[in-house]
Amino acid sequence: MSLKTIFEQHPERRYIMFGGKGGLGKTTFSAATAYWLASQGKKVLVFSVDPQASLSDIFQKDIFGKGPVKIMENLWAQEIDADQHIKEYQNEIRQKILDMYGFDEVPEEIEQYIQAASAEPAMEESAIFDAVVDIVVGGNYDYYIYDLVPLGHALYYLSMAKVYDEWINKITKLREEMREYEEMVSRLKREKETEEDQILTELLYIRQRINASSSILTDKEKTSFFFVVIPEEMILLDTQKAAGLFAKFDVPISGYVVNRVVPRELLGQDIPPYLRNRIEMQDKYVKQIDEMLGSQVVSSVPELERDVTGLPMIEKLAGIMFGK
Amino acid sequence: MSPEQADPLKKSIFQNLKEILYGMASHDMSRYAIRTRASMEHLFILITMGDMIGIPILPPYYSLRLLPYVVPQISTWKRRLLREKDVSDAMF
Repeated sequence: MSLKTIFEQHPERRYIMFGGKGGLGKTTFSAATAYWLASQGKKVLVFSVDPQASLSDIFQKDIFGKGPVKIMENLWAQEIDADQHIKEYQNEIRQKILDMYGFDEVPEEIEQYIQAASAEPAMEESAIFDAVVDIVVGGNYDYYIYDLVPLGHALYYLSMAKVYDEWINKITKLREEMREYEEMVSRLKREKETEEDQILTELLYIRQRINASSSILTDKEKTSFFFVVIPEEMILLDTQKAAGLFAKFDVPISGYVVNRVVPRELLGQDIPPYLRNRIEMQDKYVKQIDEMLGSQVVSSVPELERDVTGLPMIEKLAGIMFGK
Repeated sequence: MSPEQADPLKKSIFQNLKEILYGMASHDMSRYAIRTRASMEHLFILITMGDMIGIPILPPYYSLRLLPYVVPQISTWKRRLLREKDVSDAMF
């Protein structure tokens, strides 16, 4: 099945993701897919959460932390600044504390905790996925193309979401028990109503956010996940491992895109042994990919004569990926 | 005596009686319930904000959302968890 057919047959799959090891062309394919969909008249947002995001480079426009920026008709691009998102979030918490208790400043130990909390490594993943939920629930676009950070992050987040969910269930239960005691006291004292438990409300909100963000990655109806591979041994081994892990977390894998295939036609020409060796090596792995993945390979993209930056090159690549 | 004058008197007798009954019958129960509620509150803060006293719990992004609500309890919570225990704890 070709990439084009998949998009034509499944218009309901609105969340598109390209995943794979770093540097294989995830961003490039995201941009090209976004370009193709936009030129088909769909309203598309392509976004990235990578702190070293390269959407800015590929579109040759500085969009980092600037919200959705219009690239061309129907096409918007956005790079989320996770640090900035965390800072805003912290300020929101501080402001809430000040407002709730009428303090002039946040008590020292609380402030220390706020700062320490954001130094933890998992903070960034959570912040990133929270920002993604914000974007996706907005629902302003026909397609969301998510230029994923390298695989580890996504897997880490998915496993975290599972643990988080259980954790929230437990503390919600504890909170509900606490509520029973509170009600008992009010009954004994014959007070009318107990105050609404805001923490419980907050917990339910958190659970809903976590579920929303992990379901973006795992929704079989709406999500298409493509792996990017290149014909090299290490990449293939790694991708196999990753695909196994993704399957465990129910990420729906729609196909594989093979990148950087050196054109075989060159063999007929007078080329140096260096290039000939590379082509022969790739030949071996292209065969292996074929045996391993077969019809799951939805597109195969040759090594281009130059890097893909700027709209004309993106257009050219989109033509190769989707057929003109 | 008009009914308007009798009412407050009746009310206060009734009120006193109610309080005496409450004191005899259910004050202890509600005190106990409040204590249990307080222990649970501290347990709750422990499993959400454990990092604060050096117990790593879980990614703190969403814990921060809960922080504003527990600000007033933080210092009593810390005092309770970090104090030394002795025999008298078992008595009261």
